[in-house]
Amino acid sequence: MIPGKYRSVSGRAANNVNCGLHLVIQTSSLPEKSKVEFKLNKETPSFSGRLLQHDLERNYSSRQGDGRVISPSPRNKSSCISSTTNVTELCGLEMKTTMSSLSAFGDSSIQTPSKSRIRQGCHSAGPNVSGDHIHLASSSMPSFPILQRSSEEKILYSDRLTLERQKLTVCPIIDGEEHLRLLNFQHNFITRIQNISNLQRLIFLDLYDNQIEEISGLSTLRSLRVLLLGKNRIKRISNLENLKSLDVLDLHGNQITKIENVSHLCDLRVLNLARNLLSHVDNLSGLDSLTELNLRHNQITFVRDVDNLPCLQRLFLSFNNISTFESVCCLADSSSLSDITFDGNPIAQESWYKHTILQNMMQLRQLDMKRVTEEERRIASVVAKKEEEKKRESHKQSLLKEKKRLTINNVARKWDLQQNRIPNIAPNQDRKVSDSPQDPSQLHGSTVSAFPEETGSLDSGLNNTLQGLSVTDTHLVEVDGDTLSLYGSGALESLDRNWSVQTAGMVTTVSFTFIEFDEIVQVLPKLKIKFPNSLHLKFKETNLVMLQQFNALAQLRRVDQLTIDPQGNPVVNFTLWKYYVLFRLSHFSMQKINGTEVTQNDMIMAERLFGILAHVASSELPQYRLISILGDVRKKQFRYLLETKGKKPGLVNEENSDSKRLVGENTNRATLNYTTRDFYNERLEEIKEKKKFCKMYMEDLVKEATEINMKNEALQKLWPQMFIELVRDAVIEIRNKNSYMKLCLQQITDQK
Amino acid sequence: EAGVLELGSYPGPRMLSPERLALPDYEYLAQRHVLTYMEDAVCQLLENKEDISQYGVARFFTEYFNSVCQGTHILFREFSFIQATPHNRASFLRAFWKCFRTVGKNGDLLTMREYHCLLQLLCPDFPLELTQKAARIVLMDDAMDCLMSFSDFLFAFQIQFYYSEFLESVAAIYQDLLAGKNPNTVIVPTSSSGQHRQRPPLGEASLLEGVEASLFSQCLENLCDRHKYSCPPPALVKEVLSNVQRLTFYGFLVALSKHHGINQALGALPDKGDLMHDPAMDEELERLL
Repeated sequence: MIPGKYRSVSGRAANNVNCGLHLVIQTSSLPEKSKVEFKLNKETPSFSGRLLQHDLERNYSSRQGDGRVISPSPRNKSSCISSTTNVTELCGLEMKTTMSSLSAFGDSSIQTPSKSRIRQGCHSAGPNVSGDHIHLASSSMPSFPILQRSSEEKILYSDRLTLERQKLTVCPIIDGEEHLRLLNFQHNFITRIQNISNLQRLIFLDLYDNQIEEISGLSTLRSLRVLLLGKNRIKRISNLENLKSLDVLDLHGNQITKIENVSHLCDLRVLNLARNLLSHVDNLSGLDSLTELNLRHNQITFVRDVDNLPCLQRLFLSFNNISTFESVCCLADSSSLSDITFDGNPIAQESWYKHTILQNMMQLRQLDMKRVTEEERRIASVVAKKEEEKKRESHKQSLLKEKKRLTINNVARKWDLQQNRIPNIAPNQDRKVSDSPQDPSQLHGSTVSAFPEETGSLDSGLNNTLQGLSVTDTHLVEVDGDTLSLYGSGALESLDRNWSVQTAGMVTTVSFTFIEFDEIVQVLPKLKIKFPNSLHLKFKETNLVMLQQFNALAQLRRVDQLTIDPQGNPVVNFTLWKYYVLFRLSHFSMQKINGTEVTQNDMIMAERLFGILAHVASSELPQYRLISILGDVRKKQFRYLLETKGKKPGLVNEENSDSKRLVGENTNRATLNYTTRDFYNERLEEIKEKKKFCKMYMEDLVKEATEINMKNEALQKLWPQMFIELVRDAVIEIRNKNSYMKLCLQQITDQK
Repeated sequence: EAGVLELGSYPGPRMLSPERLALPDYEYLAQRHVLTYMEDAVCQLLENKEDISQYGVARFFTEYFNSVCQGTHILFREFSFIQATPHNRASFLRAFWKCFRTVGKNGDLLTMREYHCLLQLLCPDFPLELTQKAARIVLMDDAMDCLMSFSDFLFAFQIQFYYSEFLESVAAIYQDLLAGKNPNTVIVPTSSSGQHRQRPPLGEASLLEGVEASLFSQCLENLCDRHKYSCPPPALVKEVLSNVQRLTFYGFLVALSKHHGINQALGALPDKGDLMHDPAMDEELERLL
């Protein structure tokens, strides 16, 4: 059934050999495709394409696929035969099969392997195989066998010769066969290509599955179009300089480590380098006709130069080591590529793999052997758009982060300067110095806002996880989720802003870095109002040096957690600091200090250590001191305490404990407060002034008193004498009664 | 009002004691620090005049001088006031002991800085220098980061704080003695100082640490006589110095700080053995817990 057709076809092919081995297989029995053309011409690129497609299909069915790209294995034979019943498979017929079928001209069985038999040093044909018309004779040179065919054979298969599975270790000398166009040495043990330089009309040379280590002996075969060297031991691509007409080059299953010496093969359409040792793809320029490149099962990590292949349609990169799209990005620049495989590469495991490839290679029709649908392309573009957005967002974020980092660095530098330059001077003066105009950070404007949101509504960027509110060179304010972070003293001004209820409500953690604690103390009332939900306070580089500084935190509404970073806060080095915090802030019932849970024992210990201080501070303080310490605002709150104080000390005991309970447990430690150093110094100045006045006042008072006292004492001294004198005078006056009476009367009448 | 001021460590002068008569009134009041308290009382009155006028100036003065007598007037006051009189100093020492005895009881050893922090809880502007000097008495050298027990620190601090002017003069005398000068000739020339002029041979001086105790004792006796600030009882100083041949300045301070009699004479703190004892406050604490 087939042979006839074959005959006609191959006959025609034989006719056309001169003009490029044009093979047409007519299969009238198949309605789907009645005509299949095999053209070893570049004008019909579909040929090799289909060829390879077939190869690929087989690759999927068998692991050995790569090995079988061009050369058919015996077990494929049946498919080759049956292929005549199926157009696609027929199309998929490998060149070799086709050729061998040509060689099996008119033969009903295409058992090519048994066609020829070579016996070294034996002139007689083998008795075992019928129809063996080939005789090998030992040549004059001892090592090479000489091949001779019967004239009948020669006529029958004039242009082809198959020497498959002949256990050949060398190429035999082929005599009188100069017209040969097809030569098959499959499955032998040949180590070197020899003795074929006279076959100058050879078009097809199949050396699949031999032991060749170097490409050689081909320089005269100028018309060679198909060279099959799969499954050999070749280490380098070389000595192909004269094979300018090469159309198919199969080098799969060798030990080639790089692509080289192929730039002159401008007619080459199929190149198979699967199962080699390639680590990358490069040096492809000049392969202007290449439509298919098979690079499966190498160790390729990157691909270059593919955009220099104007005709490349199929590229097989399965089972390599490609992990990023960047390493194959040149593929995106190829306009001809329509079919590509990446399966078995790390890249194919990535979640972004498919849409990234599809997005970057719009021309693709098949990916990993599957048709690319419109839907997929659409999804890919949507995903890619999202990616792009994400990327932009993350870029924005990283910009912001970088800006933040720089700002924090700058704030830190300033802080260090402040701390080290004039460590003993009050922080206020210090700040003034560092704010002087020679400071470089001031030069490029201290309030460079990074985002427009800063000036607009503070909530506009709320949906961002990270909300950059203002990034300036001298300080940084940042709201990240539930955390408000303030860097640098300037950041404290942000508490004056109109924070939206939402943002303010969300903030539960407030962190202070590079800010004097004394400055923080001044904004605590604002913090309490603006961020009513802040439960966790963090301090780092804030110059917390004294226990009593913690007193300032007592005025807040609630504190659940306190984190004092040892960096820049020497108070943390104290043995007692945690207990003091627990004691002084006991009304908050704090849960964690520096990340450690507060236990009941801690609370008891805190009371044990400082309870007496609180007691002394509340019950032993004279009332006038209580007033001056608590100040006007809090006086009402502690009226109870004052009232009981006012009563007689003896009676207070019972009442006192009652009232204490009523007012709250904090009452007895309310007198333990903290005045910032500047304010305290101011107050000391005031006191000094008052003292001066009081001193003068007292001096005058005491002087007056002592003068009076002195006069008094002088009077006391004089008085007894004076008294005696007075009495004596009186006695003398009334000694003569009559004359005294007369004198008295006289005085009375004078008065009238 | 002077009658109210029978101040702690001061032997209360009677109205017509010879001392009282020997001085003009103003000087007498100043010397007895009556003026200090009167000035301060007026000052406090000025500070809170609105509130005080509500409950009565007379009651304010009563309360003020009562608190002075009880020693609670120094709580949370500024340092200049706390150190203004010996009574204030003693009151501060007592308050410090009372409030932070529990820290000592708990057995915590603290650094100089942490003790300083505790002092600042009672007196916000307490100078670091004084705490450092007290720590130096305990630690004897400049290893100021070492930990100290509460009692060691407290007794050293007591000496340093209560007698700080006296100790400054002592330090000057000590330096002079070390340098081979007779301080008496420098400060107050007296006829008796002549017999102590021989300086110790140089070789010996460099071998032996400190100064000769008897010479030092002599100088200090002189100092106590004329010193206008409070000094430890001269007899006790003499006793401290009579037990040794030679001593260093810090050796002297350590001896002073560990001397029972001096502590008793000062009258602010209990004996070392009873330092952790304060049943009244312990009771109060139990009530709190």
